[in-house]
Amino acid sequence: MNPVSARKIPLYWLGLALGPAAWAINLQGIYAITPYACARSTSTTIVLSIAMALTAASGSWVSLRAIRRDIAAEWTETRGGRARNFMAWLSVGCGVLFALVILNQLTAALMISPCLR
Amino acid sequence: MSDIAREPARDLRDNKLEQSELAALLLEIWRTPSGWLGSLTSVDHKVVGKRYILTAFAFLVLGGLLAVLMRLQLAGAERKLLSPDLYNQVFTMHGSTMMFLFAVPVMEAFAVYFVPLMVGTRNIAFPRLNAFSYWTFLFGGCFLWIAFLFNVGPDVGWFAYVPLSSLQYNPGKRADVWAQMITFTEVAALAVAVEIVVTVFKQRAVGMTLDRIPVFVWAMLVTSFLVLFAMPSIVVASTSLILDRLVNTHFYDTASGGNVLLWQHLFWFFGHPEVYIIFIPGTGMVSMIIATFAGRPVVGYVIIVLSLIATGFLSFGLWVHHMFTTGLPQLGASMFTASSMLIAVPSGLQIFCWLATLWDGRPVYRTPLLFVLGFFAIFVLGGLSGVMVASVPIDMQVHDTYFVVAHFHYVLIGGAVFPLVGAVYYWFPKITGRMLSERLGRWNFWLAFISFNVAFFPMHILGLMGMPRRVYTYTPEMGWDHLNLLSSAGGAAFAASFALLIANVVLSLRSGALAGDNPWGASTLEWATSSPPPPYNFSRIPVVTHRDPLWAGGGNLPVVAGLSVERREVLLSSIADAEPHTREASPEPSIWPLLTAIATTIFFVGSIFTPWSVVWGTPPIAIALIGWFWPTGSKEDEE
Repeated sequence: MNPVSARKIPLYWLGLALGPAAWAINLQGIYAITPYACARSTSTTIVLSIAMALTAASGSWVSLRAIRRDIAAEWTETRGGRARNFMAWLSVGCGVLFALVILNQLTAALMISPCLR
Repeated sequence: MSDIAREPARDLRDNKLEQSELAALLLEIWRTPSGWLGSLTSVDHKVVGKRYILTAFAFLVLGGLLAVLMRLQLAGAERKLLSPDLYNQVFTMHGSTMMFLFAVPVMEAFAVYFVPLMVGTRNIAFPRLNAFSYWTFLFGGCFLWIAFLFNVGPDVGWFAYVPLSSLQYNPGKRADVWAQMITFTEVAALAVAVEIVVTVFKQRAVGMTLDRIPVFVWAMLVTSFLVLFAMPSIVVASTSLILDRLVNTHFYDTASGGNVLLWQHLFWFFGHPEVYIIFIPGTGMVSMIIATFAGRPVVGYVIIVLSLIATGFLSFGLWVHHMFTTGLPQLGASMFTASSMLIAVPSGLQIFCWLATLWDGRPVYRTPLLFVLGFFAIFVLGGLSGVMVASVPIDMQVHDTYFVVAHFHYVLIGGAVFPLVGAVYYWFPKITGRMLSERLGRWNFWLAFISFNVAFFPMHILGLMGMPRRVYTYTPEMGWDHLNLLSSAGGAAFAASFALLIANVVLSLRSGALAGDNPWGASTLEWATSSPPPPYNFSRIPVVTHRDPLWAGGGNLPVVAGLSVERREVLLSSIADAEPHTREASPEPSIWPLLTAIATTIFFVGSIFTPWSVVWGTPPIAIALIGWFWPTGSKEDEE
């Protein structure tokens, strides 16, 4: 691989990194700031969840760019041998899955008062 | 042969030898020394793996006998078989034995045996650490059971909540024994996790790129990372509990500024991933068995690996669902409800992939596949009740009732034990060279499947009727006796199914049909060598060009040439593409791992009696480690 083509390859693993990271920040962030959100009647928890869902989804989008050209081949062959493409697919799925989890948590943030015990 | 033997030592490579000469030389280099002393020095992953498997199953039998005792006690109202104090010890020992001495170790044991074979290498990474891990696990388990036999068995439940386990409410050494048993088993588990990660990342056969790794190996890789990140939490918890009890620290003393909920957070940050540490290897076994008996590659390899990884991450975000009744803010709790419900998605994805594999293949319903089908039914039921208790209002109602007992037995036995027994039937021919009886296997499956449901399904109803867990008896007026009797009858039959498995193993070892190298026609590398495998695993290291190497190219594997036959040597490869990097020496047998484990045991056991054991217990460990790493001038020390 020459340096020019190397620069063009997007971060194929980004969904795998951003998805779980965004979910962890959302989970622990809301868990920690719930008393603050209750005391000040802010919508911090909702904003945080939306931002983290977008972060996870953006990781998937970047990973998807790395594999767009190989979609057909990847799904029809079982031989293996293309580790980078495989990791990119994992990353797309991971980002989407964790965005889904964060959206589920956002639903809770929309419905439940931070002051409820 | 004679010309070759005269060559300088380090020049003798496998490409210069005929097959029979190569096998003879490799056998001499890789064999475990003979005699009982020699056997204690073994660092062969297969020898250690077999010991691990047998020991873990011995603890399964012990834990199972305790379960039978509990079911006898609860079979009727106001029975007096066990006293309240003994009952407390029995259910604590049952839970602790099953979780810490059976479920986790047996999964790691299968990995110790099969991961090196599946990735096509000659030994596990850090083989002496592997031997040390086994001895530590063995001594920790014996420590717990010897304490129990001397009436010092822990009686605080398998999660030992404070303040119940604090010195004030639990004088004596029972809680200390529990806490230190944890330390033993965690040290052992962490050691194996490190070995598996390094073996998978650095010792894969040439060409086994990340997307050609067998699913079971992926499962064990994910599990090993879970162990690495989850276990430190319980080590911190158990050590701080011992410190509170021994030197009067105040981690969990609310009167002095401590916090009892800290214990629950620390424990469940470990305890929930622990469930997946047990379950994920089970799913890896299911994938292997289904692909083999469906006669086609598993559908959705990428989705299955994604599910394993996602489940691993998500398992760290569920722990608070064990604490819904502790008065946490509802919004915080709901975050964990969301995660708990969504972890069903990757599990569901895997199940659909497996069903699609069976649908598209030509399934052959041999005993291993029967146990996998049993897994589907039982685990899905356990998953459904799991989604129920992930909801705060339902959990508040059924918390600490037999509903929860039913739920986690459906998940753990359905999700891990059924695949595990299937895996025993599947891999027994590889380990021993003989087939298990198919007839007994079918009896075993149906007895286990039916009796399991008879034993545990009524517990759902008992829980909804209000029967709390961990009660040693109940009055006739509660109306729980009929369902409890039914459950006990099922429990006895379930125990009989394991007796049938043991009988099958014993009979087949003596007179089972010879297995051959690949009796099931499977696709992965462990079947490319003889049954049982020789000490060196493969006379020539295979090269992988396909995800299912034994199904591709007519089963003819290309091989790597050029490894030394003058010393124990493994081939290291790159992480992503498994390109060959370097040849590396593999350690030879040594008695030091055993001696280090003995020194560690003295240190650990001493430290529940006196803090000074830290002072006098450390030098023996240091001496043992110096002996372990001391250069001996042997071939393994050569660059």
